[in-house]
Amino acid sequence: MTLSVNNIKNFSFMSCCEKFVNKANQFGLNLCGGKNKLFTIKSDSSNNNIAWIGKNLSSAENRLILGASALMTQPFIDASNKDVDSETRRISVCRTVAKIIAGTATGFAIRKLCIKTIDSFTKSPSLLSPDDKFKKLKTCLSPTLKYSPDEFVQYKNALGTLLALGVMLFTNFLVDAPLTKLLTNFFAAHGGHHDKA
Amino acid sequence: MIKPNLIFNNFKDAILTKYGPNPAKMLIYTGVLGWFLSSAAQVTAIAVNNKIPKEQKMFLIPQEIGDGAINVLSFFLVTSAIKNLASKLVSTGKLANPKIRKFLRDTGLNVKNGLGQTKFNIESMANFDLIKDDYKTFKNGCDVIAMTVGSILSCNIITPFLRNKFAADRQKKTISKNYNYAMQKLNPPKGISIDNYKKQASIKFSSPLKI
Repeated sequence: MTLSVNNIKNFSFMSCCEKFVNKANQFGLNLCGGKNKLFTIKSDSSNNNIAWIGKNLSSAENRLILGASALMTQPFIDASNKDVDSETRRISVCRTVAKIIAGTATGFAIRKLCIKTIDSFTKSPSLLSPDDKFKKLKTCLSPTLKYSPDEFVQYKNALGTLLALGVMLFTNFLVDAPLTKLLTNFFAAHGGHHDKA
Repeated sequence: MIKPNLIFNNFKDAILTKYGPNPAKMLIYTGVLGWFLSSAAQVTAIAVNNKIPKEQKMFLIPQEIGDGAINVLSFFLVTSAIKNLASKLVSTGKLANPKIRKFLRDTGLNVKNGLGQTKFNIESMANFDLIKDDYKTFKNGCDVIAMTVGSILSCNIITPFLRNKFAADRQKKTISKNYNYAMQKLNPPKGISIDNYKKQASIKFSSPLKI
């Protein structure tokens, strides 16, 4: 094989990355049940659930799921951390539980409220009657492009989540952090000394 | 001259085209931003909490910084990887619902001529419009489920393990650094060498008369 100038030109970092990503993707696909296996989800209820999740699971519900599962794993991981002394471990568990409760409660509530708020300003112009008041205000956040009903729901969720992130810039400091501090102190005071290092 | 109204409309349309057809992508990007902001607030909360002893703060602050950095990184990497795998499973036809499978079978496609290969993409097929709605609904559902599983794995299992290791290392280093610094600052009384001073101090400290 001879190395020409064209070979060198064609050899780029991006093409190398692309090849690597393709190979990694193919490896991942082959790991799922083998190379020549195809999967079909036949159950109607499973397919309905998949469709429902894709349409309705917004960032608020996602935050709730993440918080609930965090309560089931993180405190136990912190409690089994033998790299620190027992008192630090105890405070760490208290803080982790407090942080999960405070973060999930405020995160869920703010996201849900913001998505609801955005919904009030993204009415579809075609659905408003001519007698409706504040038409301009009710449609001020609606997109100008054409969209499908599913895309419109996701658009409202995305806009609501972005608004929630903006709101959380303040509530993280004003609500989340003080609530975490309050709960940490409460759990630390009532948690007891349960083990030795 | 740039009109604010036009910029705002472009922004709304960009959100619609970017995240409207792909809710999982939006969940990942906003998740990364959310974790970053949340970590910044938590670090501040520990720093201003007077009831947490200084020694514990030396563990908890690095724990929180490590938590934030690892959370953002692992959330992005692990969640994206799992979500991309789910997307590929659906777009290559390896995973399908009965309607999509029938469509693929009718077009004469099987594992030997492309299905399950990264080069193949249902969305690039000429007659894709026939199955577009069913495909998008199924793919969005799979993406969001994969994204949720990925985020649980990264935030609730990988991150706590890694952040604890990181924070414990930092705590040990900080304590030993503070100890060395205190030793350097130790001044003996006039006429006594530092070694003698340390020796006498330890004798006095452990003297039975003091107890």
